[in-house]
Amino acid sequence: MLTEKVSSPAAMNRTAVERMSDRELIVTRKFNAPAHIVFEAWSNPELFKQWWVPKSAGMSLISCDMDIRTGGTYRLAFSHPAFDQPMTFFGTYREVTPHKRIVWTNEESDQGAVTTVTFEESDGKTLVTFHELYPTEAALDEALAGSAEGLPEQFAQLDELLAERS
Amino acid sequence: MTLTGMKKHVSILEQAGLVTTEKVGRVRTCKLGRRRLEEEAAWIERHRQLWSARFDALDELVEHLKREEKADAHRKSK
Repeated sequence: MLTEKVSSPAAMNRTAVERMSDRELIVTRKFNAPAHIVFEAWSNPELFKQWWVPKSAGMSLISCDMDIRTGGTYRLAFSHPAFDQPMTFFGTYREVTPHKRIVWTNEESDQGAVTTVTFEESDGKTLVTFHELYPTEAALDEALAGSAEGLPEQFAQLDELLAERS
Repeated sequence: MTLTGMKKHVSILEQAGLVTTEKVGRVRTCKLGRRRLEEEAAWIERHRQLWSARFDALDELVEHLKREEKADAHRKSK
């Protein structure tokens, strides 16, 4: 079903999110550029910073250390008006295959997912598949519930803060 | 689909909380587990919005890099 979706021209630039199983989530998107360019935008920290945090999220990336090679580590710190302390995300690159595949761990908790992103080029376009595999079904459910409950609250706090300042 | 096949399908949906079933005599009635489905759909939609925004930004950057690469190749060929 998924391949059908991404191969139809009308849906080419659509971002698709699917829960593949009890423990897996995938996000797919096709980009109109060869894989080496998309890989570069993902693996060069200066470029990565320019797109990873959507402006609408109200967060900023305050530090971004990425040692992109198999066995290397990363550490990202975000700030948000609603957080007292920066939020950090860190882990290890299990596999880095230039222009093809990056696999990393998420070590903020022992229930963190293993994330695999693949870059598949055909006809000068690149299909990016972002795949998260959680250790247990409960860990994925918690990630779903956490973001579902957390975000509206954060946005409400942000709204308040903005209202105070305006 | 065979009745056995159907039973298997329903029991998987039931385990996932997507449907609820009730058996009265020989008849088993299925209902959609509406709340669970709506919650999951809402979460998927929020996640899609985040990734859409993120990938839209990546798309712009990739277009920019592609143009730069073409311009570079053009300069080098001169």
